[in-house]
Amino acid sequence: MPDLNDQHHDQFLRLFAEHEMALRTFVRLLLPSRGDASEVMQKVAVVLWQKFAKFDATRDFRKWAFGVARYEALACLRDRARDRHVFDDELVGRLADEAEAAGQRHEAQREALETCLQKLPERQRELVLTAYTKGTRMDELAAQRGQTAMSLYKMLHRIRQALLECVRRTVSQEELA
Amino acid sequence: MNADWHEQIQRCMTGDATPEEIAALQAALNDDAELRALYLDYMNLDAALGAAAETAAITENETGRITAFFPRPSARLSPRYWGWLAATAACAALIVFSMLPKHRNSVRVRPDIVAAISATESAIARLSVEPPSLFPAWASPTASLLDQPRIP
Repeated sequence: MPDLNDQHHDQFLRLFAEHEMALRTFVRLLLPSRGDASEVMQKVAVVLWQKFAKFDATRDFRKWAFGVARYEALACLRDRARDRHVFDDELVGRLADEAEAAGQRHEAQREALETCLQKLPERQRELVLTAYTKGTRMDELAAQRGQTAMSLYKMLHRIRQALLECVRRTVSQEELA
Repeated sequence: MNADWHEQIQRCMTGDATPEEIAALQAALNDDAELRALYLDYMNLDAALGAAAETAAITENETGRITAFFPRPSARLSPRYWGWLAATAACAALIVFSMLPKHRNSVRVRPDIVAAISATESAIARLSVEPPSLFPAWASPTASLLDQPRIP
């Protein structure tokens, strides 16, 4: 007979795994810094697990988890209130509302990304995936490629813009179909 | 949509924007719903690219591990395959000789012998082509190099 704690643990893992990518994206939407987003996401996971024992299974897990994520993201921004590299609370709140409303569109765009990445020339695809690999330093990557950091940034900007246009176009075409 | 906003949003996203650029972007985001949608789509893309890079790294590590255990067969047959071919041919010959009738004048060939010879010949013929890959195409590090369409 499975232990009740094991069942509880399994239930949490299933629910968290189902919504993890959407949560991670939501946190990223609110925090301009990737490092802050990563730290907040870890904190969100811990808080959700700690409070899961009191979570009412009849409630919507996704809605509850997004609420925790919003709280933790805003707390992080308040800590950085003196940092002029963040948006004010009012704009962040509005972005959070619109991000939740755009959940389905964003999920469709994430699904379209794989196809759009395959459409890139191989060298561009390798570059953008390398740039996003953890631990990659842009100055080192530029040096390896024999480029200046500025030209590497510009190249990545063009690739990202192309990818964004591709995923948006793909989702629009799917909506029309 | 002003092309400069694509640049500004990305600079904000990568942490390269100055405080003045952040302030200008914030003012524009407050007033423009379309710009807010663009900003959110970029951040969504950023998160998704991070996940894609993580998946690509895991896949590459797994492919490297698999390749280390099961070396990719070369295009030409290795000596090992020629040895296998010779052994199979020898077995087939033994089967044929053991099943042939002892009377040299007999012109009737038994159908089961014909079937056995035919099946063995087919198997030997298959050995002379490139052996199948030891792992599926999706794990092949070069599968993605085939037929790359460009973004239209």
